[in-house]
Amino acid sequence: MGFKLAYLLSILPNLVSAAAVNIRLALAIMLLALALGTALTVVRSLKIVAVNAVIAVVISFVRGTPLLIQIFIAYYVLPAVGLDLSPEVAGVSAIAFNSMVFVSESMRGGLATIDPGQIEASTALGLPPRAIWLKVVLPQLFRRIVPVLINEATIVVKGTALLSVITVVEVLRRAQQIASTSYRPFETMIGAALVFLVINLVISLSGKVAEARFARARI
Amino acid sequence: MTAPPVLRVSALTKCFFGTAAVDDLYLDVHEGEIVALIGPSGCGKSTLLRCLTWLEQPDDGFIEVTGKPFGRELTNGGVVRRHSRREIDALRPKIGIVFQQFNLWPHMTALENVVCPQVVVLGRPRVEAVRRGEEQLARLGLAERMDRHPRALSGGQQQRVAIARALAMDPALMLFDEPTSALDPELVGEVLSVLRSLAEVGMTMLVVTHEIGFAANVADRIAFMDRGRILEEGPAHDIIAAPREPRLRNFLDLVLANRPHAIPGTRINKTE
Amino acid sequence: MHFNPALLFDYWPLLLQGAWLTVQVSAFALVIGYAAGVAVAMFALMPGWLPRLAAGLYIETLRNIPFIILIFVVYYGLPFSGIRLPATVAGTLALALFVSAYYAEIVRAAILALPRGQFESARAIGMSPVQAMRHVVAPQILRALVPPSTNMTLTMMKESAVLSSITVPELTYQSLVVQGNTFAPFEVFAAVASIYWLIAIVIAEFSRRLERRVGAAQIESINRNPIAERYLSLVARRA
Repeated sequence: MGFKLAYLLSILPNLVSAAAVNIRLALAIMLLALALGTALTVVRSLKIVAVNAVIAVVISFVRGTPLLIQIFIAYYVLPAVGLDLSPEVAGVSAIAFNSMVFVSESMRGGLATIDPGQIEASTALGLPPRAIWLKVVLPQLFRRIVPVLINEATIVVKGTALLSVITVVEVLRRAQQIASTSYRPFETMIGAALVFLVINLVISLSGKVAEARFARARI
Repeated sequence: MTAPPVLRVSALTKCFFGTAAVDDLYLDVHEGEIVALIGPSGCGKSTLLRCLTWLEQPDDGFIEVTGKPFGRELTNGGVVRRHSRREIDALRPKIGIVFQQFNLWPHMTALENVVCPQVVVLGRPRVEAVRRGEEQLARLGLAERMDRHPRALSGGQQQRVAIARALAMDPALMLFDEPTSALDPELVGEVLSVLRSLAEVGMTMLVVTHEIGFAANVADRIAFMDRGRILEEGPAHDIIAAPREPRLRNFLDLVLANRPHAIPGTRINKTE
Repeated sequence: MHFNPALLFDYWPLLLQGAWLTVQVSAFALVIGYAAGVAVAMFALMPGWLPRLAAGLYIETLRNIPFIILIFVVYYGLPFSGIRLPATVAGTLALALFVSAYYAEIVRAAILALPRGQFESARAIGMSPVQAMRHVVAPQILRALVPPSTNMTLTMMKESAVLSSITVPELTYQSLVVQGNTFAPFEVFAAVASIYWLIAIVIAEFSRRLERRVGAAQIESINRNPIAERYLSLVARRA
């Protein structure tokens, strides 16, 4: 039973249509993660000792446990505490929570690379704290972490494949369905791999193009 | 009946992207001689040195070290045979090179820098390698600093460690790539005395430098290189005092115009 | 909401068995994956455009597909080529394959960061490429290798959870088994998450010690002036 390229090509359209789910979910996750991550960073910057301590514990947990376990927690444990979410919502929440932590940590790293002299100068010029945040720190910060965020986007896309385990019908789940009826699991899985490969390569390449354009726009 | 020159370069050619960095170059260096190679930047001096240690592979031409072919040889049938990596590595210790940036190994002490190649490449027993290493370093004035790492040494001291490292391999020939450029100007005199002390024990040396004064003070012969070729060569003082090649004259004029006293006792001939 | 750890009493051995398999799989995948990664990095550094292209394709492919799909490709692909392996072995190999791409990048970046003159001076004095790597290059890049490598190892340990999808009886698989038997998701996943967390903390501590030994300690500059600290640092200090 050799590798049948024709079969692979025949199921690709089916898989690609399922990929729309992955892309849609990934977008939602990234937007959530960006918003929440920024909010989290702002909260951390207030530097309330007790709050930051709790946040540190949460970050350690999120970074120290597998994403799959976090997804299972959202899917199995939350209903036990009364929060009954659909598989999609549970999955998106879990991955978004995970990414939120990453975004905040990246922002922390980015903040460390900003030249402290700029803050000194802004303060000396009499800029109010809010203006320093909005006009000096945040714009530079976002520009700096864009490559990191693009990389995180590819990780999020890969994460959406895990949602097949909690019954979300996306590319991998569709591939598994096809494989169970066609008895050609190898070609099916190669097809699924190809779909993800293309999506992530497109993301990475657009990231590089955007980076180049950013570089040109700099004074 | 003369012994073969320590270094004989014939028809050496090396091209990069269509331009010849080294162009059909001929050079002999005899035993005990110090030859200074001068020329404008981009003339191919560094490329020549890199070819002599096979860090660049020449496209054409031959190199002979103490009469033995290095890298490529002309066999009896008139065919050019490229040496295997092992053959090349076997001759490399004979060609000592001191890089412009010294390239000392920072994770080893000065002594270890000198001992390691002896043990690893020449297979000398460690005890003997250490003895010879200590001897070389002491002779270069580094007796108290042998156990320091390169970062704890001054530029001049680092250079001397680099020299000791090459000398410990018992080379037939020592190559120096711009020995004065990585050091503060006031240390140039020190480098000069180090090279002179090497010459006193009969070491054959080829020194690439852009410092004419240095070249005139240190060398027996000077070769002027421009655009990959050696245009003029001869005894040091003759070259400086009475250059024949117009490009050499221009070069000397340009360089000496800034420092007319660089070479005491020479006239700069601006007419003709 | 009731929290009853006693429910798990009978199942602790199963969970610990799973945890032990997680550790074993990670250890094997680390060794095999790192060796493969170094090989790919060495290959990528060979002269010419072909080695770099081939290595680039290898690395990019493995980095851009989800690990769960890679597992299935390996799991279904092996019988295809006539090799029949138990799920655990296939899973370990898949994990090693996955991680080798990342380690290859780390090694390659560390080698390229070293100034060329280091390698050249070793070759010019007569060392063979292997000798130059061993005596001059490797000792110097060790410092640069440790932090990203330990980070990747932690990621790999977490990724091993995905092996549950091909019934490798590691910790996550056991957690689903126990959950199926006890219907106590909170207790089960709290326990399992804690075990993973503990393993992660052990790995992090180990890497911190290794970094210090190799001299890769990164000292965050905390002596910036207080005005800048107010905006650029998220560290809360007791007044």
